[in-house]
This record gives sequence, structure tokens and C-alpha cells, in this order.
Amino acid sequence: MNPEDFQKLDRVIHEKGRMAIMSLLAATAEVSFTDMRNTLGMTDGNLTTHIKHLQKAGYVGVTKSFRGKRPLTTLSLTGQGRAAFADYIDALEKIVKSARG
Amino acid sequence: MQSEILDTLDKLTLQCKVNAMSNHWAEENLDVIRTLMERSAIYRRALAPLMIAAGLVGVGASTLTCFVKIEGLVPFAVYWLVVAALAQGICLLLVRRQALKSEEEFWSAPTRRVARAALPGFFVGAAASLLVVRAGADEVWELPLIWSAAYGCGIHAAGFFMPRGMKLFGWLMILLSLGLFLGLGEIVESPTTETAHYLMGGLFGVLHLVYGVYLRFTETAKESV
Repeated sequence: MNPEDFQKLDRVIHEKGRMAIMSLLAATAEVSFTDMRNTLGMTDGNLTTHIKHLQKAGYVGVTKSFRGKRPLTTLSLTGQGRAAFADYIDALEKIVKSARG
Repeated sequence: MQSEILDTLDKLTLQCKVNAMSNHWAEENLDVIRTLMERSAIYRRALAPLMIAAGLVGVGASTLTCFVKIEGLVPFAVYWLVVAALAQGICLLLVRRQALKSEEEFWSAPTRRVARAALPGFFVGAAASLLVVRAGADEVWELPLIWSAAYGCGIHAAGFFMPRGMKLFGWLMILLSLGLFLGLGEIVESPTTETAHYLMGGLFGVLHLVYGVYLRFTETAKESV
């Protein structure tokens, strides 16, 4: 097992909740806050905290708009976030491969 | 000496455990990522009400032709085009209602994906119908079979972004249509416009209704996309 593979794991993404958020965003252009909350079964507070963390790292973009009279918060991956997520998956695959020997 | 061996064995056991664990969690993470990515791309609104509504419209429209005679290729095509538009309108309203209820976007990314996937099949069906009508073919009964085969193709393509059963439903429509194309002459001596109306009621009405009722009892109450 190569310890360098572990060090390559992005600490921002390597958390259950944030990894789930990144996975959903990686598969689609944008997701509304409500969809994300319902799909992942998170509380508003929990999701907001994780998104702030990802936003701070520059991985997630947040757009606020209105649909009719209702406010709509939309989340999407930034280019940096997409690259970081691809690196994270590469690192995971390397760990799996090296563990299999 | 014995304790040294035991100590070494303990260390080896621990090493093996750690290796297995690290492999395990990394694999699990990759599985979670794969599942979530797939889930976010799949259309997950409740399909049962849509299927039941479309089925009822189909059966109702087919039954109506027992009382109101609609004969000939063009009246047949126009009548069922109106019925299809009605069924489509009702389904869109139901989807919109589900979206509003769960405070979600109506024209969401999975909905767009489903619509885009189904479109070529529906387009081919519409184009083939136009060709048949333009040629003024006498065999009205061929039209429902063309429609259901093309519809099946559209549904099958859309099924890649929907629950697995939709692909099977698409295949069922395709195979039934082709089977009837080949074997209808054996069942009905000389198919008429009336036969064509029954075919529409059966293929579009009854099939949707049966699948809708099946979904009603099996589909999870998940309505979010």
C-alpha cells in the first residue's frame, strides 16, 4: 500500500456528505438546493454547512434566483471542482488497485 | 521465541486487516459515487398516475368509437392525434402538479433527458404516419402498429433515464406491434378501421392502464427528481 495515495485524497471532498454532494453535481449541470436536500436526505443546516465548505474551496458555485415569487438556489460544480473530483476518483481507484496488489 | 512468533503473527494479521479495510472503504466510496451519479441522472417522478391517466384516455377514446363512427385513414389519424395530445396534456399537468407539490423544477434536467431520448422515436412515428396518410393507404390498421412500434422505441430510449421497467415496457410495445403486423391477418380476416380503433385501445389504452396499476402497487412513493 502506497501512503502517497492516501495523501492525494482531497480532504475537502473526503467526507461522506461532501462526497455525496460532489457526486450528484458531477452527474448533472446544476441541481437545486431542494432537490439536493431531498435526494441526500440532509437537513437544510447540514447541507448549507457542507456547501459553504465546498464553496470556500472553490469547488461549488451557488446561484440565487427567483422562480415565480419563490427564491431558487441552484448549485453547480466549478471547473476547479470538477478537476478536484476527477483527481479524487483517480486517487480512490489507485488505492483499490494497490490494495488488490 | 514463541512470543516473538506470536508478535510477528499479530502484526501480520493487523497488516492484512488494514489492507483489506483500506481496499474496502475505497471501493465503498466509489460505489456510493457511482450510485449517486446514476441516481441524479434518473427521472424519478411517480409514473403510475401518468400511466393510468394515459391508459384511461386510450381506453375511453377507443370505447367512444363504438358509438361515434370514425371511418377512413385521415379521420382516424386526426382523431387519435387529438386523443394523444389530450393524454399528453393530462400527463404534463400531472408532472407539473408533482413538481409543484415537492417544490421542484418542472422542466428538470432528468425530465429534459427523458424528453430528448424519446423524441427521435416519436418523430419517426409521426413521419411514418405522414407518409402512410400521404400515400393514402387503405390499410388503416397498419397505422396503430407503426405508432406503437415507434412509441415503443421512444419509450425504450427514454427508459435509459428512467426506472428499469420502462425499457421492458418499450420492448413489449415493439414486439406486440411487430407480432400483430405479422399475425393480425391470421386473427382477423379483413381488418377494418374498427379493428384499428381496437388496436389503439389495446396497445395504448389497456397496456398503459395495466402497467400503471402494476406501478401503483410497486412504485416507491418517491416523487422527487
